[in-house]
Amino acid sequence: MTTTQTEPTGVTRGVLKTSRWTMPGLLVTGLIGLVIVVVLTLWGEQLAGFEPGKQDLRARLLPPFTDGHLLGTDKLGKDVFARVAAGFLWSIPVGLLATSISAVIGTTIGLIAGWNEGWIRSTLSRFMEIAISFPYLVLAVAVIGVVGRGFLALSLTLGLVAWVSFARVVFAETRKIKQREYVTAARLMGASSLRIILTYVLRGLRPTLVVMSAFIFADLLVAEAGLSFLGLGAPLGEPSWGNMLADSRVNLFDAPWMMYGPATAVVITVLTANLLGDGLLQFWSRGTHQQ
Amino acid sequence: MTDQLDRSNVAPGTDGPGATSSVGSSFGRYAARQLLRRFGQLVVLVVSISTLLFFLLRVTGDPALVLLGDLSTEEDLERVRSFYGLDQPLIVQYVLFVFQAIRLNFGRSLVSFEDALSMVLEKMPATIQLALAAVVLNLVVAILVGGWLGYRPERPERRAGLFAVLVSQGVPGFVIGLILIQIFAVELRLLPSIGREGLSSFILPAITLASFLLPRVIRLTAANVDDAMREDYVRTARASGATSTTVLFRHVMPNAVVGTIALVGVQFGFLLSGSLITETLFAWPGVGLQLIEAVRALDFPVVQATVAVVAVLVFAVQALVDILIPLADPRLRSQRA
Repeated sequence: MTTTQTEPTGVTRGVLKTSRWTMPGLLVTGLIGLVIVVVLTLWGEQLAGFEPGKQDLRARLLPPFTDGHLLGTDKLGKDVFARVAAGFLWSIPVGLLATSISAVIGTTIGLIAGWNEGWIRSTLSRFMEIAISFPYLVLAVAVIGVVGRGFLALSLTLGLVAWVSFARVVFAETRKIKQREYVTAARLMGASSLRIILTYVLRGLRPTLVVMSAFIFADLLVAEAGLSFLGLGAPLGEPSWGNMLADSRVNLFDAPWMMYGPATAVVITVLTANLLGDGLLQFWSRGTHQQ
Repeated sequence: MTDQLDRSNVAPGTDGPGATSSVGSSFGRYAARQLLRRFGQLVVLVVSISTLLFFLLRVTGDPALVLLGDLSTEEDLERVRSFYGLDQPLIVQYVLFVFQAIRLNFGRSLVSFEDALSMVLEKMPATIQLALAAVVLNLVVAILVGGWLGYRPERPERRAGLFAVLVSQGVPGFVIGLILIQIFAVELRLLPSIGREGLSSFILPAITLASFLLPRVIRLTAANVDDAMREDYVRTARASGATSTTVLFRHVMPNAVVGTIALVGVQFGFLLSGSLITETLFAWPGVGLQLIEAVRALDFPVVQATVAVVAVLVFAVQALVDILIPLADPRLRSQRA
């Protein structure tokens, strides 16, 4: 995340290279994380040896490593490890769908704002500046209050809240790409704006979009867990990390270990996405930019 | 590549419309213009969000049905529709709704029948106190830790520190809150984990809320200190025999701190997102907790009043930062005023 946090304050002129990891280091660590996430997503239930929804009232609030329960059990005797693993099957689809929605909206608006000049650009860029300053979680909560809960409503809400981050980056990149020689050349050869955007500009934006998606996915995963934690995300009883953390808060005194499973799952997934995003960013910018 | 993936907010001033000001106008006029600009943004934001909520509410179902529940009779529904003006044409409803929102008139709570706006304003002090504590904590810790990390970033222990800050950026704030509760309230029984009574009840919520923003602010401060260390004026000071303490505190830190304040101001909205979670986690009687309860109870007037009041707060803070930053940094003052 070294080069990503520039603040256009006019006060900061450069960026500290915080992580001196080389690009392969970031990518390799990210890929290891990806393997862990994929394994737990696909085979987590088998690894746990229990079904995530199976109650066992004789085995309630067991501490870790008892009776084969790796991470213990919750207040209904459900295996925590199996539920953490099942949480991947909830969070990752929500995160992917929400990221796609925000990517589509954000890219469209960013492209329109970046390609056009004059009043369209100034109106849209001002609107983006306004939209990004509002607390996204407050907006998400208000929208959920109106549209309700569930998988689709949650993904849509998160996508609707996150589009501005995409739009601002696509906006800046499109403006740069528009200055490139190959765009001028295409125009001189008589290509229409739409055709230039669809072929050249979108191709030029591809690395940016991939990297941004990784970062936004990480942010939205945290947002989803937060909303579920507030009881406004996943339906009650659904094995999502936010729900499990909310449960663990209720049982803080009887079963303090319950939070570590879901918390670790959130952190691993978020770190994986951020590392992959950073690694790819450095991979694609290695020619143009001396790290 | 540096500005390609900037995930942060737009900073006050330099790249906004206000930056292109005429030469020779006074600072007072600059401040007035900034205020006016922020006020315009506020109106646009409140209208946009009201529009979004208005149409989402009507697309997803019948508001009267939502209010009364599935068991209501057709007569009751009609009465509710005419009471709330839901029987009028959509466009009339919409225009009325937006005008009410701009005038900050949201009607009464559907649960307690109190005035929605005064319900929100009543909870405001608790939220602002907590947010203020988190802002102060952010500034103090970021300046100390960020200054230490950025002063000699190439040393191994500071490299490790910077990496730890990077990792901590991936830990959600509510996880940090839960861990704090577990250590200080459950194990050590030192601090209260619920409610707002006495100074000690501030400690855990303030640290939790601060942690939402802290890694980012530390990294920016460290980067600014590192930058400032490479400046010509630092070399000049060194060459003229200044001690490293003098260099750090007289030349480097004042420059770095301006950026820290700007970031905290710009990210104040993000901090308020954290307030929702922090207030729920610690049963802190603020606007965030009330908003969550209102959403659960489908109490739309309170939800809308909260959204509008939060918008006013965010833009007020940004306007304040707009005005404070040039006062703190003479370079920006001469650039703009």
